[in-house]
Amino acid sequence: MIISKDWLSDYVDLAMPLDELTERLTLTGLNLEGVENVGDDTAIDLEVTSNRPDCLGHIGVAREVSVLWERELKKPDPQPKETGPTASSEISVDITCPELCPRYTARVIKGVKIGPSPAWLQKRLESLGCAVINNVVDITNYVLFECGQPLHAFDLAKLQGGKIIVREAIEGEDFTAIDHKTYKLSPGTCVIADAERAVALGGVMGGADTEVSDDTIDLLIEAADFDPLSIRTTARAHHLHSPSSYRFERGVDPEGLDWASRRCCDLILELAGGTLYEGVVEAGSKTEPTGDIKLRFPQILRLLGIEVPDAEVRKILTNLGCTETHCCDHCVKVIPPTWRADLTREADLLEEVARIHGYEKIPEDVGVRMAPSHRTRQDVVLERIRHVLTASGFDEALTLSTVEPEWVEAHRPWTTEAPLVTSTPVLRRANALRQSVVPSLLGCRKTNVAMSNPVIEQFEIARVYLPRAGQLPDERLVLAIASGRELLELKGVVEALVDETIGDARDLTTKAQRPGDSHGTLLEPGRTAWFLLEDAQLGYGGELSEAGLDMFDLRGPVTVAEIDLGPLVESAELIHRAEPLVNFPPMSRDLNVVFDDSVRWADVEPIVTVEGGELLENITFQEVYRDTERLGKGKKSLLWSITLRSPKGTLTSEQADAVRDRIVAKLSKQLGGELRA
Amino acid sequence: MVIGLSIIGYSFTVSLQDFIAELDSLAADAQGAFDDAEDTTALEAARVEFLGAKAGRLKAAQKGMGSVDKPDKPTAGQKFNAVKKTIEAAFDTATARLNNSGGSQKHDAFDVTLPGKPVQLGRLHPITQTINRMKEIMGRLGFTAVEGPEIEDDWHNFEALNIPLSHPARDPLDNFYLATAGAQGNIGAGPDGKPLLLRSQTSTVQIRVMEQATANTVAGGAKPPVRIVSLGRVYRPDTADATHYPMFHQIEGLLVDHGVTMADLKSVLRMFCQSYYGDIEDLHVRFRPSFFPFTEPSVEVDINWRGGWMEIGGAGMVDPNVLRAVGYDPEEVTGFAFGMGVERIAMRQHHITDIRDLYTNDVRFLAQF
Repeated sequence: MIISKDWLSDYVDLAMPLDELTERLTLTGLNLEGVENVGDDTAIDLEVTSNRPDCLGHIGVAREVSVLWERELKKPDPQPKETGPTASSEISVDITCPELCPRYTARVIKGVKIGPSPAWLQKRLESLGCAVINNVVDITNYVLFECGQPLHAFDLAKLQGGKIIVREAIEGEDFTAIDHKTYKLSPGTCVIADAERAVALGGVMGGADTEVSDDTIDLLIEAADFDPLSIRTTARAHHLHSPSSYRFERGVDPEGLDWASRRCCDLILELAGGTLYEGVVEAGSKTEPTGDIKLRFPQILRLLGIEVPDAEVRKILTNLGCTETHCCDHCVKVIPPTWRADLTREADLLEEVARIHGYEKIPEDVGVRMAPSHRTRQDVVLERIRHVLTASGFDEALTLSTVEPEWVEAHRPWTTEAPLVTSTPVLRRANALRQSVVPSLLGCRKTNVAMSNPVIEQFEIARVYLPRAGQLPDERLVLAIASGRELLELKGVVEALVDETIGDARDLTTKAQRPGDSHGTLLEPGRTAWFLLEDAQLGYGGELSEAGLDMFDLRGPVTVAEIDLGPLVESAELIHRAEPLVNFPPMSRDLNVVFDDSVRWADVEPIVTVEGGELLENITFQEVYRDTERLGKGKKSLLWSITLRSPKGTLTSEQADAVRDRIVAKLSKQLGGELRA
Repeated sequence: MVIGLSIIGYSFTVSLQDFIAELDSLAADAQGAFDDAEDTTALEAARVEFLGAKAGRLKAAQKGMGSVDKPDKPTAGQKFNAVKKTIEAAFDTATARLNNSGGSQKHDAFDVTLPGKPVQLGRLHPITQTINRMKEIMGRLGFTAVEGPEIEDDWHNFEALNIPLSHPARDPLDNFYLATAGAQGNIGAGPDGKPLLLRSQTSTVQIRVMEQATANTVAGGAKPPVRIVSLGRVYRPDTADATHYPMFHQIEGLLVDHGVTMADLKSVLRMFCQSYYGDIEDLHVRFRPSFFPFTEPSVEVDINWRGGWMEIGGAGMVDPNVLRAVGYDPEEVTGFAFGMGVERIAMRQHHITDIRDLYTNDVRFLAQF
């Protein structure tokens, strides 16, 4: 709301310096947005919160000033002379949609002379940045910016049938507004119609047919109240935002209609001449008077933490326009003014007292009670996970939670349900709640490749959104990684994460088969590992397929992984316990065994573990070796070493050899493995 | 006893001491001879003298070990081995010295000014770093960090937060509602059949925590105090530009207990800011009236910053309607709540000028934090 300082001074003494004025207003609810000199006037831009429509006019702001500086508020009392016949003989008003328009009033002035407004009026409107049109239209705008009540002037001669009908728009009805554009209306919109057609979008914009022009002689002055929600919907639907709709959206003073109408007519008679007809033609009901509100004095200390003297509390409320109905040692009861629809409860009165008394009086150094707090299990585990990842050289990325639908379709490791979508895209085409974070990271990779960044190793910890009918979706917290490293390196990172959280990567099993509830073309089928933790799906790691690389304009190899963090958080060992160390020296043996190519490490390792028995401390896989000439076709050799240690004493070579031989014998028997010389 | 033992020890270790002294002088002689050798011939001569397999002085000393008393033999043996190692090491050093200076170098020249091998370290996203600091500080002030769902129902995002059906905050243009679909028409809808939406504020978590707290209360028992910060992603339909992004992060604090006042709110915020902006001396908090549906009174919070005031967030006393909606009696308890935008604070602190950079994830950008 832009305030003209010159105009404001009509209603309240402004002897204080401008800085003091704006500072104090800022600290009591009218935040200063800017100050600009316009000629010899000063335009003060104040931010008005949506609960304070009373400050969307100069008088409302003047009232705040008058309360703060305890100065008199000088509000005009317009009493235009009604010298014509009765207005109701000229026009009738009917409301058929009281839910959209609770009250409509009309006054009639005949014989006006349309022309330019006087300089003082033009200047004031110009200070506010409001276009100057002609004396009548300017006056309606002037009164709007004076008291916050929008008004509309119709060319009475162009209203058909001497009727104003306030009704709901008919589906598909056309309306031509003063911007000379035609709008297609729909029910829920309030129109002002004459006997023939819609002549205004109630509270939003007037019509072209009945607007006041240079030829206009007779006027109908509308002052009405419209339903805020329907005004907002209409203004938004047609992109018709006006100072009028802005005020109706926030609510006008229902008792201010008549004042505004009288003020407007008074100014018209003064500046454009004419004859005001007798009386007001109106329809609709007056609002029920609101009851009183009790403010218990002890509540002030209880909520604000400071005492405000009872007398000051009462003065603040009365100065703001409240009518006191009761006062005792314990409480005060007041009826709030009609322009303050936001005051309905004790808490609202308390806020008024607080802001006028001054928030600066609330101390900032009281001794707040101490309380223990704890870090959640999730926070503790996530910190460990982030630590492992950054120490392994991965940068953390954060990406948007929605993606374009194609990205969901290409890669759905966690569900086969169609993704949730937002009614309007969150960004560009991204309207699908993602079901994997991997495509988002590949999108980042594409951006980084385009910048020729040499090392792009990224992870993100975020949620995927798996739909559940009639419920909130399953928001699963996952870790996603996109990397240029080899798949086994990435798998090593996953194993380190499992080790670092639940304590033992040996609980992790890996399968080559994709689980049933997943599909997509992003990953290379033969080079994707599906991880399980005690038979439950933990995640996967894989290389991108050609299709996957193409989709993100990448050149291979690119590896990705995604891990459900739920099981890791749930089973993580938060406090590690020490085990006694065995201080006898270990004994190592290398094993180099030739197998058929179909034998997998997952077949070999359990045998090594079982046969290694109690002495086996560690298995370290080293490499796979293939050589058709030396090993034969369809053969490979696996090379690994075992570390043996006994808590009972130093192992002898013979003991270590015996373990190795036992392992080799079993591998030979069960898997056809042969020790390579 | 003690004196007697020492005398006995003395009388039995004379020859051991002599043996050790002999070895020490042998080691010193050998070191000197090897150090003095100016060429390989001289070094070879010294080697033969001390380390010669047949007639070397070390060999001779080894023979002398036989005359050491039997109980001292292990000690003598250890000493001999140590001295032998020392002499051999001295010989190796001398050999290396002569080889290097003789032109046929064993190692290439080592350039100590070459750069070290780089270690590839990753970085946490600046938003994560900011959130971690905030959580840590609020944790010290006794607030436990909690999270909640990002996709919310009508009750938690609006109704319980005192945002009635007619409130502009519910406008479809100001929220990301989910499209409802599916055979039963209930995908994208909540338990109440109303469309779900991406939460527009993390106050939803406060509702969930308070609901949980009151639900856990045994009948007739006192409702527990709540002291939390909720953090996470929130979503509002803003066109992306340098200062707006349709997704951002919020931190919200909530304290509900007996006797909580606005003075507590101001003091907690001041302590938080003093901890966060540790370099500002004489930090003060200023309240300006504002309007939020879920607090009354509602204020904007400023702190003094470079001679002026800087807005850091919104706050207020929990609206009695909100307390009632989650089962607390506003006559029993009071509460305060505050909220801050994480991006704005992170951007100001790290001199980030475009919010979109935070979500582009260029590794050169991320490497700066």
